[in-house]
Amino acid sequence: MTIVADADDLFLSTAQDALRSTDGDDALSALGWRDLLESLEEDAEARLGVLAFFRAQGRELGSSGALGELMAHPYAKLLGNEPAMRASIEGQSARRGSRAVLVGTPTRSGVLIDRPGHGVALVPLDRLELRPLGLSDGLALHEIETDLTDIPPSLSEAEAAPLRAQSVQLGRLALAHEILGAAESALAGAVQHARDRTQFGQPIAHFQAVRHLLASARVDAAAVAAVGHHSAEQYPALPPLRDAVLKALAGRNGRRICERSLQVLGAMGFTTEHEHHRFHSRVLVLDALLGTSSTLTHQIAVTLRASAGTVPELHQSVEALQSP
Amino acid sequence: MSSLARPAPVDLADLPTFAAAFERWLASRPTSLNEAASPLPTTDARMDAMRRLMGDLSDEGWGRWGWPETSGGLGGTILHRAVMWEGLARHGVSSMAAFEHLEVLGPTLLAMGPPEFCAEVFPGFLDGSATWAQGFSEPDAGSDLASIRTRAVLDGDAYRITGRKIWTSWARFARWSLVLARTGTVESRHRGITAFIVDLRSPGVEVRSIAQANGHDELAEVSFDDVLVPADRLIGAIDGGWAVAMHILSSERGTFAWFRQCFLLHHLQAILQRGAPEADGLLGDAVLDLVSVGALSIDALRVHEHGAILGPRAAFTKLVLCAAEQGLFDWALASDPDVVLDPFDQQGLDLRAAYLFSRIVTVYGGSQQMQLDTVAKQILQLPA
Repeated sequence: MTIVADADDLFLSTAQDALRSTDGDDALSALGWRDLLESLEEDAEARLGVLAFFRAQGRELGSSGALGELMAHPYAKLLGNEPAMRASIEGQSARRGSRAVLVGTPTRSGVLIDRPGHGVALVPLDRLELRPLGLSDGLALHEIETDLTDIPPSLSEAEAAPLRAQSVQLGRLALAHEILGAAESALAGAVQHARDRTQFGQPIAHFQAVRHLLASARVDAAAVAAVGHHSAEQYPALPPLRDAVLKALAGRNGRRICERSLQVLGAMGFTTEHEHHRFHSRVLVLDALLGTSSTLTHQIAVTLRASAGTVPELHQSVEALQSP
Repeated sequence: MSSLARPAPVDLADLPTFAAAFERWLASRPTSLNEAASPLPTTDARMDAMRRLMGDLSDEGWGRWGWPETSGGLGGTILHRAVMWEGLARHGVSSMAAFEHLEVLGPTLLAMGPPEFCAEVFPGFLDGSATWAQGFSEPDAGSDLASIRTRAVLDGDAYRITGRKIWTSWARFARWSLVLARTGTVESRHRGITAFIVDLRSPGVEVRSIAQANGHDELAEVSFDDVLVPADRLIGAIDGGWAVAMHILSSERGTFAWFRQCFLLHHLQAILQRGAPEADGLLGDAVLDLVSVGALSIDALRVHEHGAILGPRAAFTKLVLCAAEQGLFDWALASDPDVVLDPFDQQGLDLRAAYLFSRIVTVYGGSQQMQLDTVAKQILQLPA
């Protein structure tokens, strides 16, 4: 019976164990994650498992190609189930414009690049030219610099467009879960520090100012977990905007959790000796993919105001009330 | 056999069937719904309109779904009530008024109250003819609820209650009040408190309304001067009032968020056209929190549906609800300074009252500081 947001605890802890003992891509195999991925549309439990892996990956700062494989999933039927990863297309940088970003080490047959207006190109592994991006959080993250002009499209724009939206939805769900996991670990570190660190003759956890910082962070995590869990349950019948809401919420709350945790840790949390910066970096890097929290938050408002006074996007349906 | 087939019996216990049938009733726009959905100038006018609506909802059966048959209900679960209030909010009803106590007190009354008495009076709560209030806070016992001083002394087969309650919402309109009173010594703190059912028409009860800063006056101060209460009008056991209070607060801070967010969505929808592009950041942030409240309160409803108690997790729901409500009205004010300067019609006045009320939501029903203390102590288990 899934009555609370973290009922998928068992898969989560199993995935964390796997990520602690082996490399991220091996963990995917050991957990049977790709089998779960095959049942994504039909089976809510499988979906919760697929997404719980990302939360575990955030908690353990693992690195795998799971995001790319999940985002490639909607294309699999049209592409003949050729195992692949999908790069995310990022258009945020004013300086650089649009770019293709690959999360994880490329391990499958190739990388799908699906650019709006161009359709899908499948870049074989031997043609990938990669430039590392990101912060020091242990995540393999690259910009794909391959010249695509002589690679014929595998899917036309008309074929790709509906799949692209699904792919982005899945990507945002996954990133939100991973941000949650990383933020949870940052918070756990700060909670432990508050118990251990003594000032004025007592653990700083005794001070209400410190307790309230940590409690606020815990509330922020609970909100992301609840919306994440319900979104995973409801997929693929998500209410409009829900993927944007979840990703924006995770980014905003995730950053807030890390900032409050850092405040409790004090200056030590700003050093490379302490692990806090790695969780914080993971949150920042993932917030920057598939729409930052500030961009998405703004888009949500603009879309709602354009909806002329009806907000079916926000009303919870009767179906959402009932346990699946 | 007649060629006119009898209509198939409609199974309203089935939630989607109930929702669809209720939606048809709402779409027929009964008069009492139209009245309750229109802007109303005073607290009294709002309460009158809501009583008439609840009367109709009870007569038609909608308002009795989700409550046990032994107490005037028709069966079903809290999800029926969740669906009903969501529909009412979506069709323009702007608040539950005194009927918020149905969701705050109702589940505890039926779980812990005297069954025969509840069977007798609960139908009056459902149809609005005899509503309830919640006598918790006192002038010297706010967040520190265990220090209440209102006393109950046994005298033959009745208790005599003397003391003063404050911030008692909707008491002016209520027939009954749950009153926490001290039956033990002052030193017994939370162990010496009992929950009584007091008839607010009893001699010795005085209800004085409090004029609020938002122009409404649903809050009241209620004094009890040697008020006689039959000894069997108890909820829970003698000296067991703390457990009753905790049961109530689990509803007030957990499932109640569902009902409140329905009305926040109603406000959002009503004022969306007034939204200024410059305030989009605030709108987006409010939406993130509103969706969070929806998800957290669905979890709370499911826990409740299965007969479990949410416990300290209710603090999550309560705190995020506060953020959502304040964020929503921050956006409303940022979009249109006339919310405070010149609310030229009744809708504008309602919006101003709602904005001002949103400033105090972090205080009532357990202050933000107390909720954060709960999370720190009971969830993060930080040493005190």
